[in-house]
Amino acid sequence: MKRYIIAGLLGVSVLSSCVKNPNLTEEAYLSKPDAAKSWAQGLRRQLALTMNGIVVNVEIASDNYFNNYTQYSKVFDVPQMDYTDVDVNNIQLLVQRLRAAAEYGMNTILPGDASATATDRALIIFSRAYAHILSGELFVALPASTNGVALTPQEHYAKALEFLDEALAVETDAVKKTAYTVLKARVYYNLGDAANAEKFALEAAASKDMLFNVAFDGQNAVSNEMQTAVFTSLPNRLAPLPRLDFLDPKYSDNGVPATEQRPVAIVKAEEARLILAEVQVSASRLAEARTTLKNLLSEVVNARPYTLLDDSRETRNGGNRNDYPLVAVQVKFDAADSLRSNYVINRKGGTMRSYTVSATRVTAAEIDAAATQDALLYLVYRLRQEIFFAEGRRMTDLGIKMPVSQTEQLNNRNITDAHIKPQIPAFIPVNRGMDDFTYDKTAGVVTITYDMNKVMVQNKSAKEIFPFIN
Amino acid sequence: MMLVMKQVFAGRTTRWGWCLLLLLGLQVQAHAQDAAVTGSVISEKGDFLQGVNVQARKAGSAAVIASVVTDEKGLFMIKQLAAGTKYDFTFSSVGYENNFYRNYLVKPAAQKNSLLIKLKEKNNQLDEVVVTGQGIGISKRRIATNVTSIKGTELEQLPSGRLDQLLQSKLPNAQIRLTGGQAGATSIIRARGVTSAFVNSTPIIYIDGVRLDNLNTVAALGGGSAQGSAISSIADIPMDNIETIEYINGGAATTLYGSDAANGVIQIITKKGSGGKTAVTAEVQLGAERSTNDFLHFKRTADLLFQNGLFQKYHVAVNGGKDKSGFSFSMNYMNSSGVQIYDQNNNRKIDFSSGYRAALTDKLTYENSFTYVNNKYKRNRNGNQGGYTGLWFAESGSSSITGPRFNPNLDSLSDADFAKMKDYVNEAERLQDNQITVNRFTTSQVFKYTPIKKMVIKATGGIDYRVMRDMMVQTNQYLTHTTGTYTNNRGNISNSERKYMGLTFELNGQYSWNINDFSFVSTIGGQFFRNEDNQVAYSGTNVRDGSRLVSDAAVRTANDYYLEVVNYGIYVLQNIGYKNRFFLDLGLRGDGNPAFGKNIGVQYYPKAGMSWVFSSEPWMEGIHNVVSSARLRASYGLAGNLPMAWANQRTIKLDGFGGEQTAYFGQPGNNDLGPEKTQTAEGGIDLSFLKDRITFSAGYYRAVTNRALFSVPPTPSSGEMQNQQFNVGKILNRGWEFHTTVVPVKTNDVTLSANLSVNTLYNTVLSSGGVAPFNLNGFSARTLQTVVQQGYSVGFLRGNYGTFDANGVLSSTVAQSYLGTTIPDLFGSMGLNFRYRNLSLFANADYQKGAVASDWDSQFRFNYGAGTEGIPQGEIDKNKRANWLSFTNMFVHKTDFIKVRTIGVTWGLKKLSAIPGIQNMVIGFTVSNPFNFAASPFDPEATISGSAQGQGGATTGGISYATYSAPRQFVGSVRVNF
Repeated sequence: MKRYIIAGLLGVSVLSSCVKNPNLTEEAYLSKPDAAKSWAQGLRRQLALTMNGIVVNVEIASDNYFNNYTQYSKVFDVPQMDYTDVDVNNIQLLVQRLRAAAEYGMNTILPGDASATATDRALIIFSRAYAHILSGELFVALPASTNGVALTPQEHYAKALEFLDEALAVETDAVKKTAYTVLKARVYYNLGDAANAEKFALEAAASKDMLFNVAFDGQNAVSNEMQTAVFTSLPNRLAPLPRLDFLDPKYSDNGVPATEQRPVAIVKAEEARLILAEVQVSASRLAEARTTLKNLLSEVVNARPYTLLDDSRETRNGGNRNDYPLVAVQVKFDAADSLRSNYVINRKGGTMRSYTVSATRVTAAEIDAAATQDALLYLVYRLRQEIFFAEGRRMTDLGIKMPVSQTEQLNNRNITDAHIKPQIPAFIPVNRGMDDFTYDKTAGVVTITYDMNKVMVQNKSAKEIFPFIN
Repeated sequence: MMLVMKQVFAGRTTRWGWCLLLLLGLQVQAHAQDAAVTGSVISEKGDFLQGVNVQARKAGSAAVIASVVTDEKGLFMIKQLAAGTKYDFTFSSVGYENNFYRNYLVKPAAQKNSLLIKLKEKNNQLDEVVVTGQGIGISKRRIATNVTSIKGTELEQLPSGRLDQLLQSKLPNAQIRLTGGQAGATSIIRARGVTSAFVNSTPIIYIDGVRLDNLNTVAALGGGSAQGSAISSIADIPMDNIETIEYINGGAATTLYGSDAANGVIQIITKKGSGGKTAVTAEVQLGAERSTNDFLHFKRTADLLFQNGLFQKYHVAVNGGKDKSGFSFSMNYMNSSGVQIYDQNNNRKIDFSSGYRAALTDKLTYENSFTYVNNKYKRNRNGNQGGYTGLWFAESGSSSITGPRFNPNLDSLSDADFAKMKDYVNEAERLQDNQITVNRFTTSQVFKYTPIKKMVIKATGGIDYRVMRDMMVQTNQYLTHTTGTYTNNRGNISNSERKYMGLTFELNGQYSWNINDFSFVSTIGGQFFRNEDNQVAYSGTNVRDGSRLVSDAAVRTANDYYLEVVNYGIYVLQNIGYKNRFFLDLGLRGDGNPAFGKNIGVQYYPKAGMSWVFSSEPWMEGIHNVVSSARLRASYGLAGNLPMAWANQRTIKLDGFGGEQTAYFGQPGNNDLGPEKTQTAEGGIDLSFLKDRITFSAGYYRAVTNRALFSVPPTPSSGEMQNQQFNVGKILNRGWEFHTTVVPVKTNDVTLSANLSVNTLYNTVLSSGGVAPFNLNGFSARTLQTVVQQGYSVGFLRGNYGTFDANGVLSSTVAQSYLGTTIPDLFGSMGLNFRYRNLSLFANADYQKGAVASDWDSQFRFNYGAGTEGIPQGEIDKNKRANWLSFTNMFVHKTDFIKVRTIGVTWGLKKLSAIPGIQNMVIGFTVSNPFNFAASPFDPEATISGSAQGQGGATTGGISYATYSAPRQFVGSVRVNF
């Protein structure tokens, strides 16, 4: 019997010693070569995930899209942004993950991996800069370290500039250098520094087709969520404001979404000209501004590609509002506006154009006709809205910023009461007013309740918007 | 004490004697000097008792010279006794009072030596021997905690398809609720509250000492829907060859199981056959199934979604053996068509079980059991699975946005419109194609070695191997129909497979000895278990309709998951008795586990308790007619729950992205990670009056889970990707436990007994260690969740609390408000048994009070305009349905209920000698789930199970949403013993 007992005990100890841990420990990861390559790729993935979280929510929170389904935020349309809101927390997580992973890349991975390429180095540094830009643009304040002090948007922008310069110094690719330069112009725009914004916008303006995209990978569970929301899912979850109907869907597929995930632009050549035009408008250099804007249309926007898409299965049948027009109707931007055509597409009328990068219905004639600063400012922001449509930019233009989340506040003593209040300008209509419209089916006319670009210009001294003016 | 029927046939003839002769045709076999004594053991009801241990001693001697077990006809035979010598016989069986026949003079072989012995069933079972939690068997009186034992015969009449359902109302101090009526749904089993905000409250389940897979919530990959039904491993635990089930509900009773047993332990002990001739039992159960419509909002929903079902089960068992060996074999086929149209909830189960025991030598015995279960069931969409779901469509008003869009108020539809809706639903239900298949093989091997008298060494080893496959096919036809948009390239197949391989080894030894008035039982043992959980998910999209192969898909994806739990523990137990009435029960277990952080060493679980059977004190002797037995017990003990395997390590996660290797932060890691430990102090009294006609048990416990494992979501500024387990919480559960059984009538022909249990419960999170609230179940933090937060009960409902002004218009909303607890503060069960001769009637029910749940279906109905749902008209007039999420408090209801689980009748026909080969027959009829009385407009049990804490995570239910109620069954049965 003793023999059996001893054998049994031995058996048990042998069995217990061979636990197979299939996970990769940090120690094991760092000890193997080429860590930077996979870490940089991880940041590309994180950029995609971060943009996924931002784009859908920012589009809902603005006048661009209405959440017509039960998934996604049910309150950003109001707009309501509580510090307790799960999406407010998720977006912070996504931005902070980008920052923390980039920081780890710079501080831990790059010093230990001599084989890191310049491209990967620059990508890691750029990611950190971009996380700071997002932090500044989207939040009233946000820490930049674990349980750290909440930095103001200005402090984030300062850090962004520091890392953009560092990335520019490392980067070898000319297109990316241009992209980083436009981002510098954007940061100065955000800071209200017209001189520097103009300087870097001009520096980048030579490029007419620069496009810096974030790519997705549907086969590895990183689908473009905006594509899912506006095209892939049945029923489509998000419905565009009818005056922007012609821009939807920006992202689509030909039936196999897993392999056809469209990228989202985070920087493109258009932005340099838009910043330049806004500098000019704000400084009352109206003629220059008109030229800049017309060049923007002729040299950049009109040269952007589009695909022909059969969108006949679009029903706008998400469930919350059933009166979205599906045939070509006329649109009034608000009750005082005159009737406009070509804004709402007849989805059943064969193929339509799907603008994958940029498009606008603003014409050169409208630009020429804009005689005042206000009229031009209105057009600049309409152009920004249409050109950056479905790219997660509009909320920032509207001056809306999210608060620091409750999860952060409960764990981080540096978060004060001021940090947990959102920034929603007084001129923003509540109760889903930004997405509201009436549809007179008999007359075939949709009247949008608020023309938000007009509302902004009417409130142009509001401190939350128009950084070159305020 | 002694109930004697000592008719000796050779001497005089009695009614019993003739009966026995007629029934059994006993014969005496003899050798030249030796004689054999045969006999039959029956219960008071006249049932033949199988498995009764019969020991023979020479009159006045303590040495056992023969020991046999009765067969299925209650027969035994002891050979080679010396004619002309007097012997003492002892008869003992679990659940019965021991009986004795002393000084029996064995007659020569030519004469008959036959005994007829009657055993009296015990109500107060202090001398019953239990195994679970004690290493090796020990009598209940010696231990300081309660062990509930349920005999297999009590369970035989219930047509239930799964173990937990079978035990509903059977465990006096535990509550078992099925969260849905579909096969494989999660059950919420809890005894002493919710001790963990991380681990599901399902007890650990053993079969003959071998640990079983008890995953009761959704698996990491597939294995059910997170917000719909899970695929519970409990649904396929073999349960047709059960001798006894033992249950211990945590605290000191479970200390022996160490890091793994804070939620209690259920142990199934299977049949191993008996001595004597081979007996065959055959049983047919046939019946009807009806949907439970009590909680449907619209009368027409039943018309739309349900059908009448057929239940059938066939059971064949063979039992037998010889003196030193026994075997048992059972085979079952069960098929339930289910009550959902197109048999979308069909469940077919086939299982085989066998048990065997043998004395290999005088000192070594061997026992084994093998079971194989094949369980197949269909599942239609339920809960929050997105897209079309039958109940969401019909009961939540989403018919207004689905397909061609309907008026969501079903009951107000014209017949023609309803017919259109019915056509639509018929097609949507018909086209669903979800299939779950489980194959499960379990074995236990036990060796008992008795090197010297009063010493037993027991070695147990076993395997539980369970393979689950879940296949969901969504055809283009289905998607086109349910979304109302034509598609030809989105058909998809999602498969997931989970393989669980559990190994258990246990080696222990027990030695009993006496010194004067003191008796000692010392136990030492070691236990090791290792569970591998291997999961793969593979799916294909853009599959042409008709194909069921992922390899036919245009795009294919795959994923895997691996978990391995290894735990090893050593324990010592010392039980000390004084004059067989005062006992001290001491124990200690030490556990090691690779999941513990590097700063955490071996974890210790001590226990100490006392049991004082004061009815055995001399000063109580005078009132034994009134107080049959009485004891006080008190104990203190620790039990734990393990953290997830490898949850201590900081990891880097690898993935693919854009065809390249991708790395990012994995698990943050925690070097201080250890098990959570529930420390329970309890005391109680067990009383029995009037010769066990009234038994009463009362107890109080206070259980504090220290270092409770909270799965802490990352602080955004940390930039971490995943939750990390930290031992930061502290959870309190306390309550009273009462149980009584009363037998007001007890005669030879009539018995009436009733039982009732009452349990109170107070649960609160004493501390969350500064961690932000996190959820167990529900949707997003801005809508509705069940949440863990300091100062509140685990899994309380949290959502928007709206108040209305004088005009009935919403005036304010407070986000994330407390909307009530999901844990009842009062629960229990009750039962009634009535016997008139061979006719028995039984009924049992359970109840709860003091919890709430949210009626999410109702909230959706309001949103979709399917009803006003009690919302003031002023609000609807002003804001229409826009604020539907802003006053979730309006949809929260009390979930007090009394549910009658079963009502049944059996009729035993014993004198069937006219029919050759048939010994007896039992005819039965049982109704399951006949009556529900609930405070809520929805089924208080049918709630989405939730899995925010991941595989095996804690859940408290609390949200009623598109979930099916358990159906009613009306089952007749005929059981024949050959």
